[in-house]
Amino acid sequence: MSNKVVEVNGVVGEGVTFERIRRITGYLVGTLDRFNDAKFAEVNDRVKHSISTGAGLMEQI
Amino acid sequence: MITSIVKRDGREVPFSVEKIAKAIYQAAQAMGGKDYDEAYAIAQEVGKYIESNGNTKPTVEQIQDAVEKVLIETGHARTAKVYILYRAERSRVREMNTRLMQTYEDLTFKDAKENDVKRENANIDGDTAMGTMLKYGSEGAKQFNELFILDPKHAEAHRNGDIHIHDMDFLTLTTTCCQIDLLKLFKGGFSTGHGFLREPNDIASYSALACIAIQSNQNDQHGGQSIPNFDYGMAPGVKKTYRKLYVRNMSKALELICDIKDSNEFAKEIYNKIKEENGVYPTISNDNNYEELEKAAMLKKGIKEKDYDRCRAFALERGLEETERATYQAMEALVHNLNTMHSRAGAQIPFSSINYGTDTSPEGRMVIKNVLLATDAGLGNGETPIFPIHIFKVKEGVNYNKEDPNYDLFKLSMKVSAKRLFPNYSFLDAPYNKEYYVEGDPNTEIAYMGCRTRVMANNYDKTKQVVGGRGNLSFTSVNLPRLAIKSHGNLDIFFEQLDSKIDLVISQLLERFEIQCKRKVRNYPFLMGQGIWLDSDKLGIDDEVREVLKHGTLTLGFIGLAETLKCLLGVHHGESQEAQNLGIEIVAHMRNRMDEESKKTGLNFSLIATPAEGLSGRFVRMDRERYGVLEGVTDRPYYTNSFHIPVYFPISAYDKIKLEAPYHELTNGGHISYVEMDGDPSQNLDAFESVIRCMKENGIGYGSVNHPVDRDPVCGYTGIIGDTCPRCGRHDGEGISVEKLKQLKGFNDLRGYDENPLEDGDKVTHI
Repeated sequence: MSNKVVEVNGVVGEGVTFERIRRITGYLVGTLDRFNDAKFAEVNDRVKHSISTGAGLMEQI
Repeated sequence: MITSIVKRDGREVPFSVEKIAKAIYQAAQAMGGKDYDEAYAIAQEVGKYIESNGNTKPTVEQIQDAVEKVLIETGHARTAKVYILYRAERSRVREMNTRLMQTYEDLTFKDAKENDVKRENANIDGDTAMGTMLKYGSEGAKQFNELFILDPKHAEAHRNGDIHIHDMDFLTLTTTCCQIDLLKLFKGGFSTGHGFLREPNDIASYSALACIAIQSNQNDQHGGQSIPNFDYGMAPGVKKTYRKLYVRNMSKALELICDIKDSNEFAKEIYNKIKEENGVYPTISNDNNYEELEKAAMLKKGIKEKDYDRCRAFALERGLEETERATYQAMEALVHNLNTMHSRAGAQIPFSSINYGTDTSPEGRMVIKNVLLATDAGLGNGETPIFPIHIFKVKEGVNYNKEDPNYDLFKLSMKVSAKRLFPNYSFLDAPYNKEYYVEGDPNTEIAYMGCRTRVMANNYDKTKQVVGGRGNLSFTSVNLPRLAIKSHGNLDIFFEQLDSKIDLVISQLLERFEIQCKRKVRNYPFLMGQGIWLDSDKLGIDDEVREVLKHGTLTLGFIGLAETLKCLLGVHHGESQEAQNLGIEIVAHMRNRMDEESKKTGLNFSLIATPAEGLSGRFVRMDRERYGVLEGVTDRPYYTNSFHIPVYFPISAYDKIKLEAPYHELTNGGHISYVEMDGDPSQNLDAFESVIRCMKENGIGYGSVNHPVDRDPVCGYTGIIGDTCPRCGRHDGEGISVEKLKQLKGFNDLRGYDENPLEDGDKVTHI
C-alpha cells in the first residue's frame, strides 16, 4: 500500500491520500495510483445505473 | 590512406580489408558463391573508392554504402541484394536494441507515476525492485519474441494494432491459468519441489496448503489461479477438525464429570476403536451410529448412562463451537495470506479466485460462512481485501430461493459484497452453464477465473467436460473498432475483414500452441509435476505436455463492440435495437468461427470478452493517430470493454443487464457484466439483491456490483468518502492532530484502528 501514516509534531496524515478501491477489470485495486492512464480515464467516466425504474429506454423501443 | 573506422558507438578501430571481404563473402555464399579471392578484390576496391573521396576515417555506414555501390558496379547485383537485406536486418535488430534500451532506461529512472508501462498491470507494483526486474524481463522477452519467434505476419499485425497477442512475454514459456481441484490435490498430499507435504489434518492446514497450491501454480503460469470448489475442498478439513475437537472435549468432560484420570487416552482409545472397527467418526450432522457405538463402549467401561449423556452434550456443544472458531481463523488466515504472500519474484501477490456457495453439508456451509465473515472483517487495519476474488455460485434449489438450504449464505454474501465488492456472482442456471451440470458432481458446476475466464466444454475429450485441472492456454484479441473504421459503414467489407483477422488469430494461436506443446512436464514442476492439470498425472517428467494441453482453451478475444457499432451505425447497442441486433450478429459470428475451428481441429477454441487492462488504451491510441478523432469511437482514452455498454452512457441497471446478457451466452471463453450502484449499497441490500436476481433471471453468467469503497488510512474509516472523511473530517492529503484523532469513537492507536465499530454487532451474527 502506498500510504504510510507517520506522526510529525503531533500531526498525522500530511500528504496521505484517501484510498479509492475500485474494480479494474474483474479484480480489485487498492488505489487508483496503480491504474494505467486509459483505465484511470475509464473509471472516472463511469456513471451510476439507476435501480429504481425497471422500464428504461429499451423497454420503450 | 584509411587509418581507422568509426563504429556506431563512436569508438575508432583499425581499418581491416579482411573484415569487409568477409562480410561480402558471406553475402555471396548465401547466393552460392565460393570465391573468397574475388570478395577480397572487391573489398580492396571499396577501400580505394573511399580513399578517392579523401576520407581517412570512414564510418561503418559509409563503408557499407561503398560496398553496395562497388558490388552493383562490378556486376554482383544478386550479392548486393543479399548484402542490403542483411544490412537492413542488422539495423532492425539494432533499432530494436535501442528501443529496448530506451524502455529499460524509462523503467530504471522513472517512477510508476510517470511511466505507464509500469502500470500496465495494476496487480504488479512497478516501483519495487522485483517489480522493476520483472518488467525488464517482460519487456525484453516481448521484443525478443516479436523479433525472433513470431511469424512476421503475426508480429506485424500485433505491432500495428490489428490484433493484440496477450502475455507475449510468456510466448515461449507457459500457459495462462488453471482451475485447481483441491479435493484431488490434497488426497494423499503433494510436493512443492522442496519437500513433501502430507495430506492435511485440520482446517488450518487445509487453508494454508490451499494458499501454497495457488502460489506454487502461479509460478508455473502467467495468468491467475482459481479454486473452483473451495467449499467442497475445505469441508474435509472442517470434518477432521471437528473429530479432533469433539474427542478433546469429550476427554475434558470425562475427566471432570466421571473422574477419569487419563481421560485423554481413554477418549482416544474409544474413538480409535470405533474408527477401526466400524469406520465411523463423530460428525457435525450426527448422521451415523457413532453415538450409539460410543455410548455402548463407554457403558462397557463403567461410565454411567446419565454421565455419558452429559459428557456427550458437552462434547457436541464445545466441539462445534471450537470448530467454528478454528474455521473462522483458518479463513481469516487464508484471506490475509492471499493478500500478503508473494509470487513471481516477489513482484505481485497471486492472482487468486475462489468459487463457492453450493456445498450444503454443515462443514461446507461453515467454510462459506466464515470465509465471508473474514472478508467482511477486512485485513489487520480493516482494509478491504483485494484478493482472493470471491465468486458466489448461485443455484436454484441450493441457495437462490427462501426455502433453499444455503439461502442464508446467499443473503450473507450480498451483505459482504455490498461492503467489500466481493463476492461476484456466477449463475449455474444460465442455460449454457446448466447444460454441463450434473447433480452431485461439483466438478460440473461452472466456475470463473480471475477477471472472467471460463473453461467448461471439452471438445477434445467429451467425457471430461469439467472445471478441475483445466484452463486457458493463450488468447489474442482483435481490434474491432479499427475494422469498422476501415469498412466505412459497409457491413460486407466489415465481416470480410473480420474473417481475415480471425484467420490470422487462429493461425497465431495454433503456432503458439505448437510451442507450448513442446514443453515438458519438468518445465511446470507444480502444474504438471504434481498432477494439477487434467491427466498430467499420467505423464513422466520428460514427457511432452502436448496431449494433456488439449484440455485447455485457445481463445479469441475482442474489445470495443460499442465503438464498432457507433462507427458502423452511428449508435451503440445501448442506444438502438438495430445496433444491439448487429452487435449480437458480430459476436455470434466470432463464436461460430471458434466452434467451427474446434470441430476442425479437435481442440477447444473459444471466444472471450477480453478483460483488457493494458489493452484498453493501446488500440485506441494507435487508431486515433491513424484515423484522427472520431466522435464516439476514438475520442476517449479507452475503448469500451468487450461487449459492455459504454461506461459513460446513462442507462438503468435492468436495461444494461438485459442488453449484455445475450453476449454472455456467446462468449464461452469468459464474460462479466457490472452494474454501478449509487450510494452505499449496505444501506439498501434489497436493491442489491434485486440486481443479482435480475442478472440471474436474464441469463447473465457472471456479474458483479460496483460501488465506491473508500478508506481513510489515517482514521481507518471505510465507506464512501467525498471531499472530506466523514469520520475525522480531514481533506485528502491534509494532516490532522493526534489529539483530535484520539477523541474519535473507536480509535485505538496510530497503528490499530477499529474499523466502523458500530457495525461490529453484525460480525458475530450466527446464521
